[in-house]
Amino acid sequence: MRGADYVIKRTAFALVTVFVAVTLNFALFRLAPGSAVTDLSRVPHATPELRQALKKQFGLDKSKGAQYVIYLKQLVHGNLGVSFANEQPVSTNLRVALINTLPMVLLGTLFAIIIGTLTGVIAAWRRGTPTEALTVTSALGFYSMPTHWLGLMLIIIFAGTLPTGGMTNEFLINPSFWTHFRDLAAHITLPSLTLGLVLYGEYTLIVRSAMLETLGEDYILTARAKGLKPWTIVRRHALRNAMLPVATLVALSLGYIVAGAILIETVFSWPGIGRAVYDAVLQRDYPMLQGAFLLLTISVVFFNLVADLLYFKLDPRITE
Amino acid sequence: MSSVLIEAPTAPVLTRRGAVLRMLRRNPAALIGSTILLVIAFCAVFAPLIAPYGLHTQVGPVFGRPSWKHPVGLDDGGIDMVTLLMWGARVSLIVGFAATFVSMAIGGTVGVLAGYFGGKVDTILMRITDYFLVIPDVPLMIVVAAIWGPSLFHIVIVIGILLWTGTARVIRAQVKSVRERVYVKRARALGAGHLRIVVRHVLPQVAPLLIANTVLTVAVAIFDETALSFLGLGDPSRTSLGKVIENAFERAAISSGAWWAIVPPGALVALIILGCSLVGGSMEDALNPRLRVAHLSARTFRLRPLVGRGDAL
Amino acid sequence: MSAPLLQVDDLHVWFDLQGGGELHAVQGVGFTLERGERLGLVGESGCGKTTTALAIMGLLPPSASAAGRVLLEGIDVLAGGESTIRPHRWVDVAIVFQGAMNALNPVRTVGSQIIEALELHGVARGATARRRTGELLESVGILTARAGRFPHELSGGMRQRAAIAMALSCNPKVLIADEPTTALDVMVQAQILELLDALCREFGLALVLVTHDLPVVAQLCDRSVVMYAGRVAEQGPVDALYHDPRHPYTRLLFAATPDLDDLDGRVVSIPGAPPRLDRPIDGCPFRPRCDRAFDRCAVEPMLTSLGDGRTAACHLTEVAVT
Repeated sequence: MRGADYVIKRTAFALVTVFVAVTLNFALFRLAPGSAVTDLSRVPHATPELRQALKKQFGLDKSKGAQYVIYLKQLVHGNLGVSFANEQPVSTNLRVALINTLPMVLLGTLFAIIIGTLTGVIAAWRRGTPTEALTVTSALGFYSMPTHWLGLMLIIIFAGTLPTGGMTNEFLINPSFWTHFRDLAAHITLPSLTLGLVLYGEYTLIVRSAMLETLGEDYILTARAKGLKPWTIVRRHALRNAMLPVATLVALSLGYIVAGAILIETVFSWPGIGRAVYDAVLQRDYPMLQGAFLLLTISVVFFNLVADLLYFKLDPRITE
Repeated sequence: MSSVLIEAPTAPVLTRRGAVLRMLRRNPAALIGSTILLVIAFCAVFAPLIAPYGLHTQVGPVFGRPSWKHPVGLDDGGIDMVTLLMWGARVSLIVGFAATFVSMAIGGTVGVLAGYFGGKVDTILMRITDYFLVIPDVPLMIVVAAIWGPSLFHIVIVIGILLWTGTARVIRAQVKSVRERVYVKRARALGAGHLRIVVRHVLPQVAPLLIANTVLTVAVAIFDETALSFLGLGDPSRTSLGKVIENAFERAAISSGAWWAIVPPGALVALIILGCSLVGGSMEDALNPRLRVAHLSARTFRLRPLVGRGDAL
Repeated sequence: MSAPLLQVDDLHVWFDLQGGGELHAVQGVGFTLERGERLGLVGESGCGKTTTALAIMGLLPPSASAAGRVLLEGIDVLAGGESTIRPHRWVDVAIVFQGAMNALNPVRTVGSQIIEALELHGVARGATARRRTGELLESVGILTARAGRFPHELSGGMRQRAAIAMALSCNPKVLIADEPTTALDVMVQAQILELLDALCREFGLALVLVTHDLPVVAQLCDRSVVMYAGRVAEQGPVDALYHDPRHPYTRLLFAATPDLDDLDGRVVSIPGAPPRLDRPIDGCPFRPRCDRAFDRCAVEPMLTSLGDGRTAACHLTEVAVT
């Protein structure tokens, strides 16, 4: 397989980074001033038995070094501790939250990619015309808007027509599949739209830049010389090459988007991972925080790796 | 090597500030951006002198509607919105610049060290940068702000600590290329000390890029502060624009229909960020000129009538 | 007498400059090309020879404007801009670029790019196209199997041959070669030139060879046009230009080429640099660097006929021959 060692090298680097992230995670939450996790008196409704159990589980009576080892062992088993707030395993909470966040984030990202690519190509194609200026300005404009503020604006505009909070309508009792689906679709619209609008601007600029770069390449001149029509050249020769940096950019930003969804989920009361982090902060639910943090860091590393490998796979010029 | 036919105008010399100003003037985007920023900065700096009403003075009912006396209405405490916007911009800009300063100091130092010394120093510094890059910033900011407690100082430090990585990378690349230039090598051969070389040769070449990066970082810093305030982690004693939005949100401005308490402050933040993006982006473009001409676009080459020099054979 | 195969008449090209103003890259260039004839377009970098060549095919960027006539078998194809010239591309006039260029799309195979040309102009489709591609590659000395390779997998010389094969795929009447050997090794240069020579002879192609490398012109071309500062300085049969140049620039240009047979001769270089083309020029553009300039040169010289198919733009031709 082409470049097997490149793949191995990048994967190894990713694993090392994860390990470092795990260690940093430990350091941040166990060694930071305030050592909040050890302050079990903050747990609401904590019974002495629970405190004892938690103490034992986290080895809080042992040395920091021993704690670290226990922490690692637990991680390998997927045990991220127990949430202070709802006394459920952190991993379960996170899983539910993640499942809620992903569709919303993916929908918004898809919207951003499609609109961003379209506007980017148009802006590059109509270089130097008012169309380009308009496209770029609106891309920059939306890109500059604070995410939560845009969400609030959309709420103001669409308050009557679309649901503005939560993931489902709690008053629906035993809904049929279709009713439930329509309900979900209605609720997911505004959050994903907000995400899409805030994100697309960046893609527009990247696609436009990559497209202009590609259109200046020599093989475009050759294609013209061969007698191909301009739009055919764009479609068949330029687009593929211009999308290369976009593909990797998308993979990279996916890692961060999940984290960025915090603001949107807070505005729209969406029960996802962003909200989970926020609630955990408010409630000082440190096991949840630590777990969520780890999950987010790993997702960034993971998507960075995907971006690396994707670029390698898509560009036949890169040999090693 | 492409068959570029135009004798491309050479890249502007980076030595004088005049060159930067000239670049700005030629570029409409930069012009608009700078105008926006100057106007807002003026209002922010002179807020104590030119604000129409007192910052804590109630001049009407809660969420009073916009009127001639109060063009943007009143907030949840009956305070004039225009006053709030001016003071809010002041605090937001202060936080933005302070945080950027922190990030520039760290990022610039790391970048220069890594780029100038190369080798082991470079590798170690870049590894550290990579790890910082991997940490998702918003969650980290939230966690640190929550642990440390909300205060303007902490916010500034937290934002600064997260933003330096971008600067470090950009500066490092530039320093690396400058280091290879002839006059730097000559200075080294003449026995000039490292510090002297960095200060006299490297920094002047790196400065414009640093400025462009600073402007863009300010935009991110202000955004981050807004986000933190919204999540309730901002400094409660200072009224930044983010705090204004948060206050309105908390006091149910939307359900009261008081859009003027929410829309203008956010729009102002958006304008500041837009201004910074326009100026910083134009500066970056000017410093990395794209010498290649697009071979293809919707427009084609034009025709002119025959010139006729009278020597056609 | 029928119209020449290709005639360029009073061609001007301007480029818009960033920040205002324009560059007058080609200033009233004209020449003719008959069937099977080989013409060398020579001059320093920036003299406008490449722009002229591209203008023949209308391959100018959007920032360009052009005036003048480009007559293909008597028809002015430049008159309607992009739309009138596009139908003639590749089927009447084809071009091969410099070897170092990214002239072939790096993410598509070499074969697919040749097939694209064949199918676009209805020369062949499907299996026939594939077979024809193989034949074309063989004719330039590349194994058919290489059709499935990507450009970066081929050596510079092979890439250039593939480009030549692609250029010939639709049986054009004129082949333009823009610095075809400049970026290649000396050994490979010789091979490519031999290839061009053989192919042009075999298919009766007319050739416009754009280059600053004079020995190449001497080897391949019958006639040559010497350009300076966007204009024609001198034009005529290659032998005549070499042995009896009438324009000082032509003389200095040929003298600047080191001659392996004359190891004791000195290498002469032309001091100074060509004039800027974004402002109008007073008088003869070569005057600052000319070793024979005199007072008449303050007035721009016209291109005058010298008989025997030669022309030159120099006041010295009007003075008694020295």
